[in-house]
Amino acid sequence: MLALALVVAACGDDTGGDTTTTAGVTTTEGETDTTAGETTTTGAEAMACEATIGVMGPFTGEVAFIGEVQLNWFNYALDTWNEEMGYDFQMVEADTQFDVAQSATLAQQLLDNPDVLGVVGPAGSDQVDAAGAVFEAGDPDLTVISPSSTRSGITAQYTGLFRTVPTDDDQGPTTADFMVEQGAQSVFIVDDQSSYSTGLADTTQDNLETADVTVTRESVSQDVTDFSALVGTIPDDTDFVYLPWQVAANGQIFANQMAEQGKEAVIFGSDGMDSDDFTQAGSYIAAFAPDIAAIEGSVSILEGYLEQYENTSTFGPPVWAAARVIFEAIDRVCQAGETPDRANVQAEVRNTDQTTSILGSPISFTEDGDLVEGTFFIFQIQEDGSKTLVQ
Amino acid sequence: MEFLLQQTVNGLTLGSVYALLALGYSMVYGVLKFLNFAHGEVYMFGAFAGYGVLTVLGGPTGLLVPVWLALTLMFVGAMVVSSGVGLALERFAYRPLRSASRLAPLISAIGASFFLQAAALLLFSANSRSYDAPTLIPIANGLTIGPINVWAVRVLVIVTAVVLMVLLTWWVRSSRAGKAVRAVSFDTEAAAMMGVDVDRVIVVTFLIGSALAGVGGVMVGLVFGRIFHFMGFIAGLKAFTAAVVGGIGSIPGAMLGGLLIGFAEAYTTAYISSTFQNLIVFGLLIAFLLIRPSGFLGRPELVKV
Repeated sequence: MLALALVVAACGDDTGGDTTTTAGVTTTEGETDTTAGETTTTGAEAMACEATIGVMGPFTGEVAFIGEVQLNWFNYALDTWNEEMGYDFQMVEADTQFDVAQSATLAQQLLDNPDVLGVVGPAGSDQVDAAGAVFEAGDPDLTVISPSSTRSGITAQYTGLFRTVPTDDDQGPTTADFMVEQGAQSVFIVDDQSSYSTGLADTTQDNLETADVTVTRESVSQDVTDFSALVGTIPDDTDFVYLPWQVAANGQIFANQMAEQGKEAVIFGSDGMDSDDFTQAGSYIAAFAPDIAAIEGSVSILEGYLEQYENTSTFGPPVWAAARVIFEAIDRVCQAGETPDRANVQAEVRNTDQTTSILGSPISFTEDGDLVEGTFFIFQIQEDGSKTLVQ
Repeated sequence: MEFLLQQTVNGLTLGSVYALLALGYSMVYGVLKFLNFAHGEVYMFGAFAGYGVLTVLGGPTGLLVPVWLALTLMFVGAMVVSSGVGLALERFAYRPLRSASRLAPLISAIGASFFLQAAALLLFSANSRSYDAPTLIPIANGLTIGPINVWAVRVLVIVTAVVLMVLLTWWVRSSRAGKAVRAVSFDTEAAAMMGVDVDRVIVVTFLIGSALAGVGGVMVGLVFGRIFHFMGFIAGLKAFTAAVVGGIGSIPGAMLGGLLIGFAEAYTTAYISSTFQNLIVFGLLIAFLLIRPSGFLGRPELVKV
């Protein structure tokens, strides 16, 4: 029974693909199943279109749950693309372990690989900063698209840096405005000491205080799983508890412990909390896209993903979006009869003008590399765990 | 008053878990004079074993047996799995290095810790699991202590920890095997000469320490909800701190240290700030190492000159 118990607890994911790993960088051949007559490529130039794309993320370590989803979505995007187009694009994995030093080292390795034409990742803003400095110094023509870094202003620092998520400049004010509209007088903010969280907490706090809302600010590590002492300090007159956290499961623990101690404040989670791990009825969450399961053009993509991988999270679809931006840019270069290199790929990335995407919104970039139309949505979680769009 | 009482309960709950973990550190140090840094991972595997048993029994929403039986089986399952992991560590990572320098088993322990984390990541993936204890035992079910209501799960954790610590203390003091453990911890060579099977004592020590860690893992899953492959790292460090503060090698010291660390965390968060939680806890570690390295109840080490 114990052996069965451990097996049941495991239910590990199978990400597929053949991999070889050398010093943190893994090269994987995309699983391609090209059937004659089903490919959509045109011309000999397109068939010869070759590319290697790097993917950086925390695939192991304490936030591996983020990296795992991101890697799965990238693999899915790559496999789907190769199958659709009859290409054989390759990928190089770079496991940052959410570590700044590791990110810089891996950035150098990707930079030194002449086959790498673009990079998806890293995940966290600190890692993007570290890797960005290396890429900028080594080859600013290399396109780097982060699918989850939201720190305001970071893209302006690095020539080749883009992102497929809105920034804290969008989420913070949106969140604060909503709370104020709901009549909030007192808000308790807890960041999880990650760069994502503290940045977002700072922006939201600033906007709330501008609106004369009383803000209490606390900070707790992502490693912590007991928040009962912290919950006990929440004043009884608190209207909202804002949790800009990356670990949604921790948010659920916090909510349970609030209920345990009779705290009635409403939880408002950031986009990192947009996950099946957080289902506290009555709570609000911000998301940078509508529920993709409700977007007509994205349902089939999501279904295809879930056929291969166990679960997803809010961190997944922006990876697909980032990967497709790079893939399509490379394809446009090939279609023009050129051999893709970092410079012409980046030029095409800047020309990206998708009228719609998996996120339900167009994708095009500002001069700095941010989304032109980045916006946040606010959902309220219902008793049955479903989400209702409220703004 | 209500606030203080609530925080005291919070500290007691957390301290109970740390105490159970710290016992494992202290027992192994007492017998082998080295720190089993992989102990946190033993606790993590116990947590996953408990989750596995809960899942096999139908999960919180479809339990096939009464709640009390499910909890008992979860604890037993965790103890068995954790003991197995602990025994495997002793057999393959530590025993071959018993006659090596003191640094070798320490390095082996650190390596074993990373090995087990990576193994857990491969086995269980990076996704955290939830015991969903409020569904198992509703939050409204609890004990009223003055102005506060203490969730039944917290009561269970505190009572279970106390019972286990009392049993362990009785076993060590009164049983033949317990006396053998004390003899080996006092003087291994003399104990061997007196006919004590030292190898067997070491195995029993690892068995019991690991089993207690497994219980701690299930407790964390029940009270705090989230279990994941990396959960043993920080918990292990704090339990180590608790063992040092209480007196490494001392069983009552480990219990005292665990409770002290639990209270330190709760009261720091309550009266200073949660930001300083780890600062205070690890600050205590440094302070004790500098001022009183033997801890509250530990024995100063005597060296013949």
